[in-house]
Amino acid sequence: MGVERRYALASAALGRSGVPPQAAVEERPALSAVTGEILDISPHLVVLANSEGVEERLVIAPWATAWHGRPVAPAELPVGARVVVRARQSGRVAERLWGDITRITGVILELGKERRDLTVELDCGPHRGRRTVVIPYGASGRLRVRHPQLEPGFLFDAIGTRMEGTTFARLPATSQPAYRATAVPPPPPAYGGIQSRISGAAAWSDAFDDGEAGVAYPMLERTDSGCEDAGISCTGLPYLALGSMLYVGNVCEGRALVLPIIACGCVAGRFCDRCVECGTSPRGRIVELSPVSFVELGGDLAKGCFNARVGLG
Amino acid sequence: MTVETTTLATAALILLVLLLVLGGVAKIATAGTDAEPGGLTRLGPAMLVPERWRKPMLIFCACVEITLATGLLFTRNPLPRWGTIAFFSVATYVLWELRRRRPDVGCGCFGEASGSPVGLRSIGRAVALTAMAVAVALVPVSGAEVLSGLSLDLAIALAAGVVLLSLLSPELEEAIARVRYRAPCEQRPVPAARALSRLRSSSEWRSHTALLVSVEPEDTWRELCWRFFVYPGRTAAGAKAEVVFAVYLSGRRPAVRVAVVGADGNDGTLHESMGISAAR
Repeated sequence: MGVERRYALASAALGRSGVPPQAAVEERPALSAVTGEILDISPHLVVLANSEGVEERLVIAPWATAWHGRPVAPAELPVGARVVVRARQSGRVAERLWGDITRITGVILELGKERRDLTVELDCGPHRGRRTVVIPYGASGRLRVRHPQLEPGFLFDAIGTRMEGTTFARLPATSQPAYRATAVPPPPPAYGGIQSRISGAAAWSDAFDDGEAGVAYPMLERTDSGCEDAGISCTGLPYLALGSMLYVGNVCEGRALVLPIIACGCVAGRFCDRCVECGTSPRGRIVELSPVSFVELGGDLAKGCFNARVGLG
Repeated sequence: MTVETTTLATAALILLVLLLVLGGVAKIATAGTDAEPGGLTRLGPAMLVPERWRKPMLIFCACVEITLATGLLFTRNPLPRWGTIAFFSVATYVLWELRRRRPDVGCGCFGEASGSPVGLRSIGRAVALTAMAVAVALVPVSGAEVLSGLSLDLAIALAAGVVLLSLLSPELEEAIARVRYRAPCEQRPVPAARALSRLRSSSEWRSHTALLVSVEPEDTWRELCWRFFVYPGRTAAGAKAEVVFAVYLSGRRPAVRVAVVGADGNDGTLHESMGISAAR
């Protein structure tokens, strides 16, 4: 039985409405995220082929910016690049484009050297398998400043590009936690009961299907989620299940969405970092969003996180 | 006068053996649960040695404690007595050193329970235990005296010792706090089997068993403090349906809710974007 029926069944048993609640309507103009492969690009227009092969034409706003390993002008994105676009006006006007962007989050297994470049093999969690990443010599200084312990057993989190099947790390997505991946600090004791909304940092991950909206959540019961590493977090998070609806709010932008939990965020739960997008968030990575949801909530993929508030929808 | 010293030494012996055994067992339990990450990050003298030695160190310490306790209880040999004096003197020094070098970590005397930073009370307790060990070494009593010397004096001496040690134990406050403020139900792991047995003993289960096609749940999940079980079933009219039970995870006789959802039931309202694929 699919977990997508869980919300309806739980609602029936507890006598609540079967329609997932929607976040309060906001006054700000809605953002939408478009993903696809560039077929043609000029300074004013981009033509994309989305995952179903349908062509989409977007006007590039005069203030639009783009990222392709570094900040570039939108017209410099190569044809054939996979892009995530933040768009306004119901998805017709592109204002930020990220080309070939990927995020590499995991536990370091092995290090190697390939001429001057460094290669890192990572364990990205039971559902995501292993990935090999190349740290180009030019980016290694920037990465090592915030990942001082490039040793097996420590965590790694970087943003990079994926080109022709090879993943290159370009920017550190966070400061590396000082502890090993197996020694996550325990959450503070929750004296006085649980809060309905929990604050922390929200990150994104590209381990979702193309164009899929949803989140990965760390606090799932191991037997239910089939994930041996679930249920670890350094924030006092409540247990939820795959299929629960989660309210996710971007504190920096004042936007919120109610999204389904569709994966187990076993690696995200091991990060005890803070996000400093707008002020300093409380400690702990509480949720991992799909790129589309992250962009729709106003996050910048190249920055990697936003200060978030989550709760049961 | 001789009787009094023997009584005091006997009381000291009982307390020493009790604390050594408790400490040893608590340390072994803590070392055993280290499979869960973060077990030894805040604990005691183990912090002063390199990371890979922490667990062996904890286990070694526990073994020494249990050996000393056995030696004190069953023999009159001076070796465990002087060993106990040495153990607690070293413990006093180590705690002092720990307080100076790592003021953030707990003493680990009782494993995980001793997570609060080392204070003067923990050090005072080590000093008091050293004094008791000296008393037991000077008046060599063993388990035999405990049985033969039961008296009101012994009980009073024992009570005084217990009060002294309780005043010097920060763990006691921690234990009381843990009992008073347990983690809320939403954050406690609860095995599915326990919820299932609570469900099977509920009246809702008995009144709906007739509708079930199978007694094995086809899906189960947990949301906050509720665990849900879905069984294939039939409605009273005989149509195919799903029977959903929700069991509250706190309390001995928890609330159980139930609903029968038809196959074509009110499930057409699901969120459009809800695809489940990254999960597996």
